[in-house]
Amino acid sequence: MNKRKTYIKISALFLIGIMVALTAGCTGQTDTGQKTVLKVLIAGSLTSPMEKVEAKFEADHKNVDVQLEPAGSLECIKKITELGTQADVLASADYTLIPAMMMPNYADWYILFAKNEMVLTYSDKSKYASIVNENNWYKILDKPDVVWAFSNPNLDPCGYRTPMTIQLAEFEYEDDQIFEKLISSKSKITINEVNGTYVITTPEDLAPDTSKITIRNKSVELVSMVQEGGIDYAWEYISVAIQNDLKYVRLPGSINLSDVGYEKIYKKVQVKTTDGKTQTAKPIVYGITVPKNAPNAALANEFVKYVIDENGQKIFNEDGQPPVVPAKANDKTKLPQILQQYAADN
Amino acid sequence: MKNRIKLELRRNPISFIFFFIGFAIIVFVVGTLFNMLYKQLIVSPAYFIAILKDQYVLKSIGLTLYASFLATILAVIFGIPLAYAIARNEFYGKNIIESIIDIPVIIPHTVAGIALFSLLSRRGTVGSIFGNLGIVFQDSLWGVVIAMFFVSYPLFVNSAKDGFVSVNPNFERVARTLGASQWKAFYQIALPLSYPHLISGAIMSWARGISEFGAVVVIAYYPMIASTLIFYRFNTGGLKESQPIAVLLILLCFITFLFLRLISRKKG
Repeated sequence: MNKRKTYIKISALFLIGIMVALTAGCTGQTDTGQKTVLKVLIAGSLTSPMEKVEAKFEADHKNVDVQLEPAGSLECIKKITELGTQADVLASADYTLIPAMMMPNYADWYILFAKNEMVLTYSDKSKYASIVNENNWYKILDKPDVVWAFSNPNLDPCGYRTPMTIQLAEFEYEDDQIFEKLISSKSKITINEVNGTYVITTPEDLAPDTSKITIRNKSVELVSMVQEGGIDYAWEYISVAIQNDLKYVRLPGSINLSDVGYEKIYKKVQVKTTDGKTQTAKPIVYGITVPKNAPNAALANEFVKYVIDENGQKIFNEDGQPPVVPAKANDKTKLPQILQQYAADN
Repeated sequence: MKNRIKLELRRNPISFIFFFIGFAIIVFVVGTLFNMLYKQLIVSPAYFIAILKDQYVLKSIGLTLYASFLATILAVIFGIPLAYAIARNEFYGKNIIESIIDIPVIIPHTVAGIALFSLLSRRGTVGSIFGNLGIVFQDSLWGVVIAMFFVSYPLFVNSAKDGFVSVNPNFERVARTLGASQWKAFYQIALPLSYPHLISGAIMSWARGISEFGAVVVIAYYPMIASTLIFYRFNTGGLKESQPIAVLLILLCFITFLFLRLISRKKG
């Protein structure tokens, strides 16, 4: 009897193994035998368009296996600077992290290639889904039966941009209670005004009132929670909302961190995170670079070309992530030759 | 007992060879961990000492041990009857039941977390019922416990099952013929005789719960357990701030498990 059981178990495992092998075979993910592996670390919010760039790149380079590693932007960079990961390409949701953390030791150029904006996402299951709009969203978030979410400001740029947006809302709607009601009364996140600059401090122990506010490491983790109806509203980038078919409230340009015209107003808000850094609110612009220690620099440069050329721009546009056209370099003279014609000086 | 094993080793060269080959595993584990411990405790003890004074870290490690302990209690309460029923009975679909028990071991932990979340979140089908009773899983201790339970109970159930199978059912039958009730036969014969298996299963289950990250972090980011905090500190402060916590957790777990194994061996 026991022997029979073992046989059954082994054959079941075998079957599962075959199924896995078949599925993997169909998507062509396992066949890395002879291929050059191109390791691409990307901000989680770039996953969808980057997968499309990956498909195109692999179609044109049969001997290359592009391996995308989506994570928080900070996490991606720390993999390179702290763990010694040898990555070929790095794309961050906040381009300023590249000069701040990677230059000059790990990178000497970067390109601004795409933009994004903050939106408030929800689903049909969300409370007050039928009435929420760009004028009343902050009142709805404050309702006692609404649960809303954002990502950890100390880990995810989308996370520190959330309190920025909420503070900017105070200026836009001329209501100086919004931040207090939504954030500081329900967590240990504090705000101080110094000479017209609003400095938000996010301690390690955010201590959110979890019956009202949900926090996770990355904003993409919140998507399925909104879809499942476990939370009503979540702060996301518009790209994430579009890629996941979430409904979203589109916010005024003065608070959604996408409009370069409002740069001066954005600048009034800062967030001090636990790593001791201060982030100043600014338009959301993505940066990409090839680390100095990239094992396959030539291929990596070409991959960057695929991201910023006309086809790349088209992919990003379709995914709700407006490309920067033309892409802008921090210093064009430092760019690899192959990228020169695709980027202008910032 | 010990002397006999020593003698056997001497007489039996194959034991020596096996021991030698098997030792590679020990070297592998010790080497990996020793590197970390050495750097932390000998080369730069300052960070480690700072961690020992960090209330947030201590609280989070305490919470991890406690929550996993609760998860193990749940596994014991529900697992012993399940394991006994399976071990003592042959029935149609037994294979299926046994495979179902193993599912949590197979599925990716994030998937487990999402499945638990959709069922047990405040708005989830089951979560809302518990919510009315005052038990909330989303971002709460119970969320941590249930996620740990989900991934760790198979270790206990399987070990307990092996334990009950190893006890000859005739012992229980004899006890019954001598007038013991079914219940008495169970808790005076089967239970004590499978004690080593139960203890070792409980220890493994507890350990498994402590190490869980993927499933817990989906349903309960707060309160922060050690693995969530280590991940968090790695991202904010890098290795120098996350490694000391990991080292402290490893040391605590090692000491605890060693202690438990020693006790259980004595009793067994």
